[in-house]
Amino acid sequence: MNERVNKFTAVIMLGFICIFSAAMLLGGKESFSVDENRELTEMPEVSASSLINGSFTEQLSRYAADHFPAREKLIAIDSRIQAELSEKIVNGVFVSGERLLDTGAADRPDTEKSAEAINSFNDSYNGAVYFVCVPTSAGVYSETLPPYMQKNTESRQISSLYSNLSADIRKIDAYNILKMLNDSYIFYRSDSKWTSYGAYCVYRTVIQKLGFSPTAYDKYTIDHVENDFRGDLYHRSGYAGVKADIMDIYRCKGDTNVISCTGRDERGNIYKRHLFDKAELDSSYKYNMYLGKPLPLVKVKTNVNNQRKLLVITDSFGSCFVQFLTQHYSEITVVMPSEIKGSVRNMVDPGKFDQTLFLFGIDSMSDSSIFEKLN
Amino acid sequence: MVYSSLLFIYGFLPFSLLFYYITPNRQREKMLLLLSMLFCGAMGLCYLGLMLAYTVVNYTACRMIGKNRGKPAAAVPFAAAMIFDLAAILVFRTKYFIGSYSIIGWPEGIFPIGISFVTLAMLGTLIDVYNGRISEEKSIFRFALYVMFFPKLIMGPVLRYRSFSKALGSRRDGLNEIGIGISIFVKGLSKKVIVADNLYMLYKAVRSVDPADMSAMTAWLGIAAFLLSLYFTMSGFSDMGVGLSHCFGMRLPQCFSYPLFRTKIRYFAARWHMQAMHWFRHYITKPLSSFSRSRIFRRCIYILSWGAFGFWYSFDMNGIVWGIILAAAIIVENRFSKHRLLAVTGVIYTFIITAFAAVFLACDSISDSLRYIFAMLGGNKMFADSLGFYLFRYYVVILLVAMYASTDLFRNMLIRSGKTRFRTVIAASAPLIVLTFAVLCTILLSYSGSSGMIIMKL
Repeated sequence: MNERVNKFTAVIMLGFICIFSAAMLLGGKESFSVDENRELTEMPEVSASSLINGSFTEQLSRYAADHFPAREKLIAIDSRIQAELSEKIVNGVFVSGERLLDTGAADRPDTEKSAEAINSFNDSYNGAVYFVCVPTSAGVYSETLPPYMQKNTESRQISSLYSNLSADIRKIDAYNILKMLNDSYIFYRSDSKWTSYGAYCVYRTVIQKLGFSPTAYDKYTIDHVENDFRGDLYHRSGYAGVKADIMDIYRCKGDTNVISCTGRDERGNIYKRHLFDKAELDSSYKYNMYLGKPLPLVKVKTNVNNQRKLLVITDSFGSCFVQFLTQHYSEITVVMPSEIKGSVRNMVDPGKFDQTLFLFGIDSMSDSSIFEKLN
Repeated sequence: MVYSSLLFIYGFLPFSLLFYYITPNRQREKMLLLLSMLFCGAMGLCYLGLMLAYTVVNYTACRMIGKNRGKPAAAVPFAAAMIFDLAAILVFRTKYFIGSYSIIGWPEGIFPIGISFVTLAMLGTLIDVYNGRISEEKSIFRFALYVMFFPKLIMGPVLRYRSFSKALGSRRDGLNEIGIGISIFVKGLSKKVIVADNLYMLYKAVRSVDPADMSAMTAWLGIAAFLLSLYFTMSGFSDMGVGLSHCFGMRLPQCFSYPLFRTKIRYFAARWHMQAMHWFRHYITKPLSSFSRSRIFRRCIYILSWGAFGFWYSFDMNGIVWGIILAAAIIVENRFSKHRLLAVTGVIYTFIITAFAAVFLACDSISDSLRYIFAMLGGNKMFADSLGFYLFRYYVVILLVAMYASTDLFRNMLIRSGKTRFRTVIAASAPLIVLTFAVLCTILLSYSGSSGMIIMKL
């Protein structure tokens, strides 16, 4: 009896293993995962050093995991099981009934170096520098997180960043604005970034500092362009148990209009862009609908006739913010240092602008390499 | 490449089984060596180089000792190889020699997994050959296989050469053994991927709080999670290794025999990491105890060898303290072992002592450990807080499952049930159970692709 069972086990298990390894070996290899919104690992190249220190096998292991048969389905089940087995954290994403939140805030590196780089930009700049640091959804909804993560990590990180910035940089406290409004739909449920409404709430304060009076909420026509958006936290956790998000675009009633919107990369190639690129709603990351896929520089010209120009240095938080600035400036230049390999000054001369607005998520602030490109 | 990775389970394992079983019987030992070298090479050619160096140095030394047996000249190769082995473990397990890695061409940041086990095995073999307890191995292939045999590379067991060559010589491979082997492998995999990794998350959550702000409840949850996670990680890896060797027809002994939740610390000690413990008893406690018959002296030696065992775990003071606490507790316990109260409260007090000792394995420094113990004793004037209740709520199921799985209750129930229907049902559904757990583990591994050694580097 026992021997027969053992042999049966062997046959079943060997069959199971062989089917999966054959599928892994012979199965089609995708190069991009839509569900995770990332490039999958390519077959590692053999090199002497990677063989010697074993990193070849590590990469091969990652390659095997990335191209494992039925990977996306397995990950979706994995996230459900993980959330049941232990506390509700899946791949570093906290899963509450209502929303997904990033849990990595406490591990972020210090922002001191980034602050230094911005200060030295400010020292060599004649105009006025405005600075907004935006918390992630985990900072605004920190009370939803497990008790040991509710230490106001992000608010402390932001205030220490602000205290390291020069006194003549005008800082806007987005954290408290958003925190007060956190029962409105200001952050996506499955993304760490703000919704258009969240951006609008901060815009009201920012635009006053920049010297304009904000456009009232009822002056906008709001279109719900998408109701099935799943953001970066979903890509990371694969957890589909929270409601999909809605994406809005705000258009001001009246006669202000965007005349042109052009992007430029480091080689000088020119791309036609749109303030709202609805083609991106069919891509794997729908957030790119705002201003299109990130480019080093995007210039927006409007029919506002005041000859005022604004330089916006930003990250992905900014692409959703620009829609509110178009009613005030005749030209807005949006620069994303994270997309630039060399120096920002090769792309744009800040001296031609009277005002520069820095708008960054706290996550980008901890990556000082982004800000070293400023100088 | 660890056993608990998709690349190993669905790549290396079927590959090695295929090549092993298509090789004619007489060449299978060589095939095993080839596969083991491939495994080592996959961890990095530098790792393969290190293992080959171990093989060559110790093999040559053993042969030279054998040639000069009984002559004083035998001491020279003996001492030289001992120094080589000890130097190797010191270089790789302590942080003082990181600067010298470039001199020997070792890439920085790479830890040679399993080096602690290899070193113990080599030292033991050298001593045995030198003392004439075993004759030296003539075949360098078999000796190399002893060093590099991939199923015992990561987590032992520390086998003495004689046991290994006996297991190698009396191989019984075939479908039956593969069935047993894969079942044990999947058991070990589940221990690691399902239980140990989740409990480690609990421990990590507790450690994100400073011990000075920790409530007693949180601290106890944390250390219970650590102890269980440590046990499930180590016994999981050793089960995987034992299961793998079964697939190649070799029956290696289990390293752990349900050590937790015993009624006496003595029982815990006798069942925890048995082969490694045997090694320390055999090569340290016994020879040193023979110097004097004095009771106090022998107790000191006993404590010392446990300290050495702990030092082997962590290579710092904390490990030594762990060993000393356990040894001292056993000595005290032996004095009172006839006390009737002990029989009733045994499980609780054994758990408490092992938990206090485990703090020293968990923490980085003595002062950190003491602050943690202070929190466990309620020294922060907090016995329970919201964090404690939160963690309890989410982890209580896995903690209870882990506690049950770490005891031998289920096995005993099976044995006691004899030839009843219950046992038949369990036996008949075994293939399905194994398959289910294999699928579950594959799902849990699907995101990261592997689940490495996080809790202790041996």
